[in-house]
Amino acid sequence: MGLYFLQRFALALSILFIAVSALYAIMVMLPGDPTSVLLGPRATEEMRANYALQMGLNDPVIVQILNFWGRIINGDLGQDVLRNRPVSEPVLQALPYTAALIAAAIIWSATLGILLGALSAAKRNTAFDRITGILSVAFIAAPSFVVALWSLLVFAVLLRWFPAIGAGEPGNLPDQLYHLILPGFAIGLSWVGYIARIVRASMLEVMSENHIRTASAFGIPRYRIIYIYALRVAVLPAVTVLGVGVGGLLSSAVFAEIVFARPGIGKLIYESVTSRNYPVVMGCMLVSIGFFLTCTLIADFINALLDPRLRSKK
Amino acid sequence: MKPTKNPCHSSDATAITRRRFLQGTAGLGAMTLLPMQVWASGNTLRIRTYTEPDNFDPVDASGFGEEMLYGCIYRKLIQYVPGEQWGYDLDLAEKIEQRTPTEIAFTLKKRQMWSDGYGEITSEDIKFSFERILDPAMKSSLTQDLGSLTHVEITGTHSGVLHLDRPFSPIWGIALPYLAGTIVCKKAVEAVGGRITTAIPPTVSGPYRVRELRTGDRWILERNPEYSGPQADFERVDIVHIDDALTAEIGLEAGNLEFTRVSPGSVLRLRRQKPAGTMLTEHPSLYYAWLGMNLDSPKLSDIRVRQAIQYAIDVPSTLTAAYSGSVESSTGIIAPGLVGHRNNTLIPPEGDLEIARLLLDQAGVSTLNLRLDVLNTSVWTSAAQVIQATAGAIGINIEIHAHESGSFWSLGKESDGDRWKNLELVLNRFSMAPDPYYATSWFTTEQVGIWNWERFSNKEFDQLHQDALAETDNTKRHEMYVRMQNLMEESGAYRFLTHESTANLYVSNVVPATRPDGLPLIQLFRKA
Repeated sequence: MGLYFLQRFALALSILFIAVSALYAIMVMLPGDPTSVLLGPRATEEMRANYALQMGLNDPVIVQILNFWGRIINGDLGQDVLRNRPVSEPVLQALPYTAALIAAAIIWSATLGILLGALSAAKRNTAFDRITGILSVAFIAAPSFVVALWSLLVFAVLLRWFPAIGAGEPGNLPDQLYHLILPGFAIGLSWVGYIARIVRASMLEVMSENHIRTASAFGIPRYRIIYIYALRVAVLPAVTVLGVGVGGLLSSAVFAEIVFARPGIGKLIYESVTSRNYPVVMGCMLVSIGFFLTCTLIADFINALLDPRLRSKK
Repeated sequence: MKPTKNPCHSSDATAITRRRFLQGTAGLGAMTLLPMQVWASGNTLRIRTYTEPDNFDPVDASGFGEEMLYGCIYRKLIQYVPGEQWGYDLDLAEKIEQRTPTEIAFTLKKRQMWSDGYGEITSEDIKFSFERILDPAMKSSLTQDLGSLTHVEITGTHSGVLHLDRPFSPIWGIALPYLAGTIVCKKAVEAVGGRITTAIPPTVSGPYRVRELRTGDRWILERNPEYSGPQADFERVDIVHIDDALTAEIGLEAGNLEFTRVSPGSVLRLRRQKPAGTMLTEHPSLYYAWLGMNLDSPKLSDIRVRQAIQYAIDVPSTLTAAYSGSVESSTGIIAPGLVGHRNNTLIPPEGDLEIARLLLDQAGVSTLNLRLDVLNTSVWTSAAQVIQATAGAIGINIEIHAHESGSFWSLGKESDGDRWKNLELVLNRFSMAPDPYYATSWFTTEQVGIWNWERFSNKEFDQLHQDALAETDNTKRHEMYVRMQNLMEESGAYRFLTHESTANLYVSNVVPATRPDGLPLIQLFRKA
């Protein structure tokens, strides 16, 4: 188990290094002089030159990348030269909002998706199964931004049940959860469909296996067979997909944070890319990719816990 | 074997019992009560900003985002007067006058206080505030706004003189009542090392003070109990950062905002039907948008070709597509209400395809392929498509290149590689301060390759720009700026499109205060 986890961790670190370095190189190659974009039309040439020097923009790209990693190894995300603050400051302020949004989306979509998938499998070929199938595909097909806009118009504007913007008062958990409902719903809905379909297919496969038949033969109650023995195995593909799906949810978070005017990493990345604030973009990228890889690692770890075969695989 | 009962197949599991019904309705009832705590906010003013104020010290300020904040927490010698005409009201100054073309004398009101025990506002603070912007070591981007100001002379605790080394008329419009005119407390700023680096400043003088900054979300202000003027109407002001105008409109309709600027595409809809309990106001904006032509491009070197393009563009049709018909055509770069505004363009806004064809024939051009660079927003791509269609009618084939903002705003800059050499046509839009000098300063010869992407260079224009700065007679200034816009249009490098408009949507229990261009003066907002 330890070796397995170590291998996965080493792989994650390699991916982090390659992905962040590649993104840095691509970003620097983008057209658009960061000193002009960031400092605006009133800045003098002297101010621009000074800014470029502080940002290290005069160095070759490879040197900039190595300097970036050198700082990271020393635990320093860099300096936001424009606002004269450490990059870690806005990134760490934004991260909890994005993490909460993604967690909310995963929790509700996984709970409902697994439940619907398991019930569909248990009630195969019934009206419930067919309706769930149609709904699942509809959820998958519905773009998140459409869901977001409709839910805003219906639940925020028309019914005024939920707030349209913001993230709630810090320190007031009910208020923050309340502000999470609509964005969490918008980015999680398609995952309900995905997970329901995956769990259903997986459940049907597992239900036809010998150990389930044996369990039935021993007279173990059906609900116990379905929801304890079968579901435990059937949920594995869903856990893997969810781990990888965090990447997709991070992308959705960019748009959700803009549409719902929430603070978060997505919004910070968007603003920093358009303003060419390289240090903040890189800090955000590092944290986002790191967050994604951590989630993938956790998914692998859960899979390994649930399925001993994975732990023993060489 | 006895069949196992599947609880999910049980009729008991799905039956609606009285208990379940009561549980369900109670749950739904609780949901409808949830919003009550959120929308009970009569003492809070929530106002949208599209650009987050992210500098803590006025010396570092760069735009209206900061002005919204500083206007609430600091004071100035004079401040813009809300309404439809540009002008100023006395703020800290009891009296202020242009004593000579290079001297502005002021007398401060007495007993105007700093908060938190920093005492009275004196002429020392005025001197300190202006001179730190002029200090090269501070690297302030506001230095240019102060023009020829050299120093401030203190003549008494409450009086002083601003000295200029040559006349500089714009100081009244863009410096004293705007960012560069913000007065900070000398004692407090020196005590924190010469620059304010925290969201909550050591002292304030305006009607509000900072309670909290939530980065990426909002600035929260609260009433300043030590304010020397009349108490602010609102206990709390949230300056909420919302990048997207449509999101802000939905936020206001949902009851989460009290005031927001709305997008051009929404204006017609809102004119027809406003959300209940809201008001819509429209103001002429100071922005100016135009189609520019690169004079150094070989394809555009013949003035007849450029003039043909000017005539080929039907400005009203372009604006109908881009702004849903919610804005008017412009006559130049200086907006109505300002000195130098032209009443008419030399070429009619509708253009004339016959003249355009004739000009192309005279230039010996039958077909012409050009690229048009635009920002990748719906307004600009729509405008570009209309221009593409009308230019196509006279044999000019336009290829549209849309750019995200970071890429677009350095297209014509020589410091960003050779991309400026590929520029042919570009749809552009600049912001503006309420003085014509601010508009013309980007089109001088020294701005070629920086912000003058048309590479327009005209000695008469450059001279007029300098002369108008020093001219204090507004009638003469007006004539100078009109002539400068004529020169721009005659060069064939410009087709002026619009000044846009600022449309604001707000709830009817708020009385907003806005500048003539519709930008909010939050410190003057009142409850209805």
